Amino acid sequence: MRDQTNVKLRLSNSELWGGLIGLALGGFVIWSGLKLKLGTINDPGSGYVLFYTGILMCVFAGSIIISAITEGGPTLASRWENVRWSKPLLVIACLAAFSFALEPLGFLLSSIPLLLLLLRLIDPVRWTLAIPIAVLVPSGMWWVLKRLLLIQLPSGLFGIG
Amino acid sequence: MDTLVNVAHGFGVALLPINLLYCFIGVFIGTLVGVLPGIGPISAMSLLLPVTLSGTPESGIIMMAGIYYGSMYGGSTTSILVNIPGEAASVVTCIDGHQMAKQGRAGPALGISAFGSFIAGTFALVALMLVAPKLASIAIAFGPAEYFSLMVLGLVVLTFLTQGSMPKALLMACIGVVLGLIGLDSITAQPRLTFGRMELIDGIGLVPVVMGLFGVAEVLLNTEQAIKRDIINAKITHLLPTKADWQASTGPVARGTLLGFLLGILPGGGAVVASFASYALEKRLSKTPERFGHGAIEGVAGPESANNAAAGGAFIPLMTLGIPPNVVMALLLGAFVIHGLQPGPLLITQNPGLFWGIVASMYIGNVMLLILNLPMIGMWVQLLKLPYNILFPLIILFTILGVYCSSNNVFDVYVMIAFGIIGYFMRKLGYEPAPLVLAFVLGPMLENNLRKSLILSQGDLWTFVQRPISAACLSLALVLLIAPLLPALRKKRELVALDEGA
Amino acid sequence: MSRYGLKTIAFAAMQVVGALLATAANAQDYPTKPVTLIVPWPAGGSTDISMRAIADSASKVLGQPIVIDNKAGGGGTVGPATMAAAAKPDGYTISQIPITVFRLPLMQEVSWDPAKDFTYIVHLTGYTFGVTTSAESQFKSWKDVVEFAKANPGKVTYATPGTGTSLHVGMEQIAAMSGIKLTQVPFKGGAETNAAVLGQHTMLQADSTGWRPLVDAGKLRLLMVWTGARSPNYPDVPTLKELGYPMVYDSPFGIAGPKGMDPKIVAKLHDAFKKAVEDPAVIATLAKYDMVPNYKNTDDYKKFVVEVTESERKVIDTLGLAKK
Repeated sequence: MRDQTNVKLRLSNSELWGGLIGLALGGFVIWSGLKLKLGTINDPGSGYVLFYTGILMCVFAGSIIISAITEGGPTLASRWENVRWSKPLLVIACLAAFSFALEPLGFLLSSIPLLLLLLRLIDPVRWTLAIPIAVLVPSGMWWVLKRLLLIQLPSGLFGIG
Repeated sequence: MDTLVNVAHGFGVALLPINLLYCFIGVFIGTLVGVLPGIGPISAMSLLLPVTLSGTPESGIIMMAGIYYGSMYGGSTTSILVNIPGEAASVVTCIDGHQMAKQGRAGPALGISAFGSFIAGTFALVALMLVAPKLASIAIAFGPAEYFSLMVLGLVVLTFLTQGSMPKALLMACIGVVLGLIGLDSITAQPRLTFGRMELIDGIGLVPVVMGLFGVAEVLLNTEQAIKRDIINAKITHLLPTKADWQASTGPVARGTLLGFLLGILPGGGAVVASFASYALEKRLSKTPERFGHGAIEGVAGPESANNAAAGGAFIPLMTLGIPPNVVMALLLGAFVIHGLQPGPLLITQNPGLFWGIVASMYIGNVMLLILNLPMIGMWVQLLKLPYNILFPLIILFTILGVYCSSNNVFDVYVMIAFGIIGYFMRKLGYEPAPLVLAFVLGPMLENNLRKSLILSQGDLWTFVQRPISAACLSLALVLLIAPLLPALRKKRELVALDEGA
Repeated sequence: MSRYGLKTIAFAAMQVVGALLATAANAQDYPTKPVTLIVPWPAGGSTDISMRAIADSASKVLGQPIVIDNKAGGGGTVGPATMAAAAKPDGYTISQIPITVFRLPLMQEVSWDPAKDFTYIVHLTGYTFGVTTSAESQFKSWKDVVEFAKANPGKVTYATPGTGTSLHVGMEQIAAMSGIKLTQVPFKGGAETNAAVLGQHTMLQADSTGWRPLVDAGKLRLLMVWTGARSPNYPDVPTLKELGYPMVYDSPFGIAGPKGMDPKIVAKLHDAFKKAVEDPAVIATLAKYDMVPNYKNTDDYKKFVVEVTESERKVIDTLGLAKK
């Protein structure tokens, strides 16, 4: 009998994918090393260590791929079985939106909505608690940093903060 | 006898009310910046340096030193509670410390790191008093070839940090080295792997990488669990380490202290290597190495002692040779010089009051820190009782703030978010972040020293074997690499033999 | 406890609280937040400490703290190059500009153009350079080094704070004049070269006066200084000229910001740093490293940059170090 979550040479094998990504990165590092010049052994150039590290990466990635093919590995789907995969995805989306908003809006205007969203999205906190936390914590931290530690947080286009 | 007279004289200086006050302010600020991830002792000391200039040299330097070792105490708190290491030296504390917290043993973990820090700090000071001048030679015995071999040894240590597959850990380490090399080449000033991005010219910061891979990734992993609420549901049993905890920790604390003190003397990543090496050592010596990574108290006690002892050891090259082993010590050197003193071989004889006063004040500061930190354990543990759906958003906010404050750079926040997402997928696929972080720190030093030693030896690779310290490091690395393989090989051979028999 | 004691404590506490609470005096005008000064050398070297003393004095004039950011590497060019590439010309990021910033572009491909990428602000001071060896070394004088190097070409190694620094170029000039071959090992700055020569990992050290406490303690032997006249602190040590090399190296330096800074901000920074190099406390700190103020205003500094680039071009060409 074959375990459906442990596959060998299949496109759904997660180990295989990890190894392939490693191999691609290794190849890229070797190429960058060559482009930066290896130099000579008595005066190694900027690409010397990168080149050899890239080779090592390919070797390790290769051994991951080989063991993925010979011993098999869990499928990609099984890694996300029985978990609420939508939650991390939502948090990642919030963080991505936040990184786009941070510079134009400034720290206060971007972090208050971020906190509110996070409080409501990962198992909702009731509004009466979520709103005060989302407003007070960032403002409090902002005040402490600006007044006590003289650290200027990004203020954004509207100059708030 | 001379030493006793000097120590007494030192305490006379340190116990002056004004110096006691400066010492307290120093350790208090140190604890604060240590707990807040991202804001390290360096930024706090740079900002306060001008303040110390108005008082006497003693009080100014006592306060600066207080900030430094105070921050070492606080550094482990966030590692244990929420898996966010405040600095490179406490990355390794995350591995078992946070697991302990998840099992409801945050109290003992925090307790043992406070006591371990105190013991290590005290030992380092006694050693500083007795043998400082004799140990100065260690700091200069390490040239480029020796550093290269030490870094190799440090990288081999990472094979002990992983519970999973070895090729994966090694691949992560290589990626760490490459990430560490991004930016301008430290020898030829050529941009490397910057993809034409201006922000990458300066390289990637350690703080955003660490906070992304640990802090943000941890939150992402936790949000997907619907029923298993590790942090909240665990019952908090003890606030302080039990007798059994102490028995388990005595050895690790003692070994960590010694290791940390000796490696701390070395200019460059001494404290970081010491904390990782101590973890590896304890795992190797342990009768039950499988407990490591699942909340073994030895994995907290050893590294925490090591990094505090290293903080003490770091004073030796500064006080005896005038060579600062890290940026914090260099700031202290600056404080000395601006006060009109020149640390160097003559400092102790020319200014005994100053040297012994500072050492004595550090002893008093350590006691203050213990008194300050123990009651806070209860408070920190209460923090874990916050509902996870409030705690997680707050953790994200704090990592963002911490990263921004460490560099005043919005780009670092993006880097952290990116590494948080990468870290999440890495962990899902069974790749661990600790080897990457260790290699990220050691990689640039490894590269720089390799190139310098090859220039020095005119391309002769034997230099690494001919120099005794370097050879010792390399053979130790070799032993560490091969030793775990031997039993496996033997087993395989037995299996083959059995097959043939059948 | 005496009343005096209490008063001092209260005073100290007030100072600390005051520093923590200090905010910008006028929110409208520059500077309204701390200024970052990049020092492209490791913390703890002679440049770092003298720049800290200067920055501390200048910050009192500016009314805002000046935060030192050590970005070492590339012979002191990594910091300025990073600033030229990434910083905004708002006056909140400025950098110390060592002479390598002008010299390295003549020797290899670099990411910056010294003529275009910086707004030069003020010229400050220069170094005293010297060549040292371990007290346990066989070399008692420079003559011993030359003799040994003649018999063993390339075997004499010297530590410098980076490729293309005045120390590197100067040593190569000396070697060319004596007909010997030396091997340069580039470090990042004074703290590292001190350790390298003290541990006898390199035979010689060529660096600015960070070696002073070690020479004073008899751990290092000073073989020569590169100033015009003998140093008053070391009257027995010969200068380059006395040894038969008609050169003087002091590698003067100043500060600059990224290109395109507002002239008003430049003027404010210029005034603050001018006052700083006139401050007796700063002069005293500089004197510890045998450095003297060498003030030049913004316009003179700009002219000086052009002159230096030209004279460096000649030296680099004759030594055969120019980029192909």
